[in-house]
Amino acid sequence: MLTHALLAFVAVFICFGGNYLTGQSMLERPLVVGLVTGLLMGDMRQGILMGASLEAIFLGNVNIGGVISAEPVTATVISTTFAITAGVSKGAALTLAIPIGMLAAFVVMFLKNVFFNIFAPVLDRIAAEGNERKINALQWGTWVFYYCIISAVSFIGVLAGSGPVNAFVTHIPKVVMNGLNAAGGLLPAVGFAMLMKLLWNNKLAVFYLLGFVLTAYMKLPAVAVAAIGIVICVVVAQSDMRYNKLASEGVKSNQSSNAHESKEEEEEDFFS
Amino acid sequence: MRKLTKDLQPAERKAMRRVFWRSYAMNASRTGATQYHGLGFLWTLMPMIDLLYKDKPEERTKAIVRHTTWFNATLHLNDFIVGLVASMEKKNAEDPENFDASSITAIKASLMGPLSGIGDSFFWGILRVVAAGIGISLASAGSPLGAIVFWLLYNIPAYIIQYYSLYGGYSVGTTFIERLYESGGMKILTKVSSLLGLMMMGSMTASNVKFKTILAVTVKGSSQVMKIQTYLDQLFLGLVPLCVTLGAFYLIHNKHVNVNWVMLDIMILGIVLGLCGIC
Repeated sequence: MLTHALLAFVAVFICFGGNYLTGQSMLERPLVVGLVTGLLMGDMRQGILMGASLEAIFLGNVNIGGVISAEPVTATVISTTFAITAGVSKGAALTLAIPIGMLAAFVVMFLKNVFFNIFAPVLDRIAAEGNERKINALQWGTWVFYYCIISAVSFIGVLAGSGPVNAFVTHIPKVVMNGLNAAGGLLPAVGFAMLMKLLWNNKLAVFYLLGFVLTAYMKLPAVAVAAIGIVICVVVAQSDMRYNKLASEGVKSNQSSNAHESKEEEEEDFFS
Repeated sequence: MRKLTKDLQPAERKAMRRVFWRSYAMNASRTGATQYHGLGFLWTLMPMIDLLYKDKPEERTKAIVRHTTWFNATLHLNDFIVGLVASMEKKNAEDPENFDASSITAIKASLMGPLSGIGDSFFWGILRVVAAGIGISLASAGSPLGAIVFWLLYNIPAYIIQYYSLYGGYSVGTTFIERLYESGGMKILTKVSSLLGLMMMGSMTASNVKFKTILAVTVKGSSQVMKIQTYLDQLFLGLVPLCVTLGAFYLIHNKHVNVNWVMLDIMILGIVLGLCGIC
């Protein structure tokens, strides 16, 4: 189990630390984390499948303004590790990921908002000195330190959790297991609900239904739905732009047409 | 892309290129809640500060201290602020008598909010969702392509936006955003991206939220078993997933229930369904 715990540490560090090194490039999303964990634990396929399901569950968990309700990296790594090494069924592992994610989110919030305040005076001091070497050292030092602590959470989680999880899995009644699997199937609903909150617009709500029917009944894959969506977007944007132009022409009808043309030229030049 | 960099001096161009690559790791460091990514912002801007204040150590230290203040904005678009600040530092270095250095901090503070508003909904709400939708559908078949396609679909547009944000901020300044708002382009962009996002949400609800009941009824005098799921499917395909998703949305959006409670409710619902023998 020590090997698995160490591998979990590595997986979190690569995905979480690497994510912030590469411009929040989404390495921290369960889709990628699942693949990385699966590769490290020796069962790529299971890792990918766990990643795909967890991505849907955590889709709404957006890191906006630094406030998160669940931390997807730790949740994905620990639950995927258990699914691969402890024989936990996929549905149960998905349900397990939720409380783990909430706990990890608490650790992350504590670290970045409370504990790491100890480095604020350090930055003030070295900035006053104007010492560039120390600025570089602090930039990288805090990076390593911060993500080592977060990775350690997964290390401890896998090391301490595998025993109880194993016992739980072997003794759990079948009906409860079925229930956990059912919950795992329904949980992505919360992720989508949170994102819809971000996107919702009463006038555009029908397009949600369109997307649903295209996939539920016509079995269209996501790529096809996205393509259809882009076509609709272009059509809507064009008609809106024409409407805007007509409206602004109406306003400017009493101005000379020369002035209008020169402004348009300027704008075109600017965007080219 | 050439056009934006053609007026730059060779040394300036080199420093800006370093700033561009550094801006990827801007959010890597942490110095607590009072500064947030202030250190990252400073570190990103260092090549330009070194270049501009080469012979003025005192001014250089002042500039460094100026950028230790609280900073947090959506990545990629925050490069616009970096570019704009770099151009203001340049003015400050060239003409310190007439330039008010406190305006640099002011412009940083005033742009963070609106740019993050646009950036968060575009990068997190639209680009990531569309990329994830396609990634999930590939990964659900067990293909490693899912993660790779997802990553590329997100990062290629992000790279382009980051590039134009930095050099756009450096060369055109504050008029940029004003123009985008004036032309009405911003409004249309917001509308169509919500439209696309909602459509993807619908599609992903259908393919990712799963429910299947094992409940079956046997009618007296008939040997046939009536599976409830078949009737549900005839009524409307994916009725339960759609209702659960809209219910969760109603709770979060209209009733402002905490997300963790909604998740807990669904977990309890699942276990109860299992105990009753419905699932």
